[in-house]
Amino acid sequence: MGVQDPTVVDDTPRVTAPGGMPSGPVPAPVSPGGGGLTGRGPLTIIEGSRRHWALRALGVVAVVAVLLLASQAQAFRVGQFTNVFIIAIAIVGLNLVTGHTGLLSIGHSAFFGLGAYTTGVLVARYDAAPMTTIPVAVVLSFVLGLLVGLPSLRIKGLYLALVTLTVGVSFPEIIRRAEELTGGAAGLVVRSASLAPPAWTGLGRAQRGIWMFWVSAAVLLLVMWLSRNLVRSRFGLGMRSTRDHEIAAAASGVRVARTKILAFGVSGAITGLAGSLFTMYIGALSPDGSFTLLKSIELVTGLVLGGIATQLGPVVGAVAVVFLPQLTGAFSTGPLSGVVFGVVLIAIVFVMPEGIVGRIGLWVRRRVAVVPADRPGLAADTTAAPPPAPPPHSNTHNRWEDQ
Amino acid sequence: MDLFLERLISGLTNGSIYALLALALVVVFRGTGTLNFAQGELALFTTFVAWWLTTQSLPIWFAIAAALGVGFIMGALIERLLIRPVAKRNDMAVLIVALGLFTGLNSLAGLLWGSETKIMPSPFPNGESDFISIGGARLYGDALGVWGALIGLMGLMTLLFRFTKVGLHMRAVADNATSATLAGVRTSRILAIGWGLSGAIGALAGVLVTPLAPQQLSLTTMFSIFIAASAAALFGGLDSLVGAVVGGLVIGVLEAMLTGYVSVIGGSLQQTSALLIIVVILFAKPTGLFGTTKLVRV
Repeated sequence: MGVQDPTVVDDTPRVTAPGGMPSGPVPAPVSPGGGGLTGRGPLTIIEGSRRHWALRALGVVAVVAVLLLASQAQAFRVGQFTNVFIIAIAIVGLNLVTGHTGLLSIGHSAFFGLGAYTTGVLVARYDAAPMTTIPVAVVLSFVLGLLVGLPSLRIKGLYLALVTLTVGVSFPEIIRRAEELTGGAAGLVVRSASLAPPAWTGLGRAQRGIWMFWVSAAVLLLVMWLSRNLVRSRFGLGMRSTRDHEIAAAASGVRVARTKILAFGVSGAITGLAGSLFTMYIGALSPDGSFTLLKSIELVTGLVLGGIATQLGPVVGAVAVVFLPQLTGAFSTGPLSGVVFGVVLIAIVFVMPEGIVGRIGLWVRRRVAVVPADRPGLAADTTAAPPPAPPPHSNTHNRWEDQ
Repeated sequence: MDLFLERLISGLTNGSIYALLALALVVVFRGTGTLNFAQGELALFTTFVAWWLTTQSLPIWFAIAAALGVGFIMGALIERLLIRPVAKRNDMAVLIVALGLFTGLNSLAGLLWGSETKIMPSPFPNGESDFISIGGARLYGDALGVWGALIGLMGLMTLLFRFTKVGLHMRAVADNATSATLAGVRTSRILAIGWGLSGAIGALAGVLVTPLAPQQLSLTTMFSIFIAASAAALFGGLDSLVGAVVGGLVIGVLEAMLTGYVSVIGGSLQQTSALLIIVVILFAKPTGLFGTTKLVRV
């Protein structure tokens, strides 16, 4: 489905559905000159207007307030929030390749693990400062991503999922095998002294929790911003058109091969970054703990729950996968939570296929439309003539899927 | 030489199990066009049913028959209630439903029967002395039984697809569901039967493998088998029954040989190496060895 019409670029999460995921009801179109006048159309906000900036500022204030509030919680809650941020970063990575480029990956646990073990090994074996290991983890994961992306030129669909599956299954086996470096099946413990916050922060070793909370939050925001810009860039357009119609994309000059490989690389790098933070957060790694295929499934679940190819979906999805097992575990620990998890997952596909953020995005877009200032025809309160070519409906939704 | 034969035998035995589960995957793929992620866990669940029946002092053969029946019903119900409503949308939705089933069925088995390891009796003679000696290698009764089951199932499926109306309809639906419907095939019923059939085949694989598996019957038994089976199905080319069997056997033997003869791989990298070889093969033949290449008009 759709290459989005560039005229409806706005801050609300976009509901585009990957590889044919239905986007549900089409949001009400902003008809030229209509909208606000009839009182039934959405509230129109011009991009870059004062109102728009006020909304943005409000958003920033809300994020900062929520973070400040969260950081005041009990230590173990703060730890959970940190976990949410880290999972969210990993899902942002997955979203790039699965959501925006349409290549299903069930091997992202390997990127997560590679990042985690890179940091773990460098810190535990070579006494590196934790923060300095991040670039190494990112570069290694990027390279692994390129390698995984390589077969996607020839191998497609489910067969490609098998390639990613191979990576996901192999990773724990390789870690167990490379015992001298990784500690093998017994695991790798990083001394908490080496993971202490840097001296300039003035935080002691005991305050690692709150340090990692802020680091993870900052990285998450950074990564979301980068991902948003990437998706909106020329390259991002290439990613989306590759997803929607590979042949048409290639015919229009998108370098499909390069796009796929790079998307895998960037996606892997981001998920590897999450893994690196995970080591600093958790301090002990084992191949069968967090880096098996089940981790990949957790990430895919989070992505779908939150909303595929949305900007905020990964965060909401991460909240869900971290807290849902605990909520369901509250009335019975163990197997029942797994059953509930499965049921919820299936239920989501049935009642909310566009994910939580996707659904909310639809709801919001029916009420608020942010339009660019250079397309006055879209604004409700203008008397200017509508732009010449497009018929009323073509401005708000892509026409790809209808053809 | 006898060591080689023993490895070959164990490879073929594991391979037969992979082939059975791969057949289940292929039957689903031909009908619905998706990889059923929950196939392994469905097999696990039905195997638990069989185990539970044997603890009720029912004979093992009855338990196996009941597990096949449960597998058929569950497969058909899953198709009808969970897969069909979302299948029209896309692959991703079906895949997510299957992932939900994967988690749900595994936990449900744990919830009903506990997570500790169970000992599943074998339907075949598998005592210390129940073997035939071939060139110094021991061929145990249960290995023979598994081979027999695979051969028997292949025979039955050939009969089903070649000589029965249901089989003909299944082939028609796999080939072109729309045309089949227009020609009077009750496509929806055929799809449900296909899923039921694959549920039953999976159940057979489950009850046969657990007495042989190193973990016996536990919640993790089927996972690695499912990985190998899906690799086998993909290797053969998702829509080919012959391909699934060849793929399963190749993977089983590859695993046994690599583990036995390549010391770097040893007992710890067998899945990795087997899967890597398959990726290389896919690279050369992107739709598997026996898969049909789809031509699309644009």
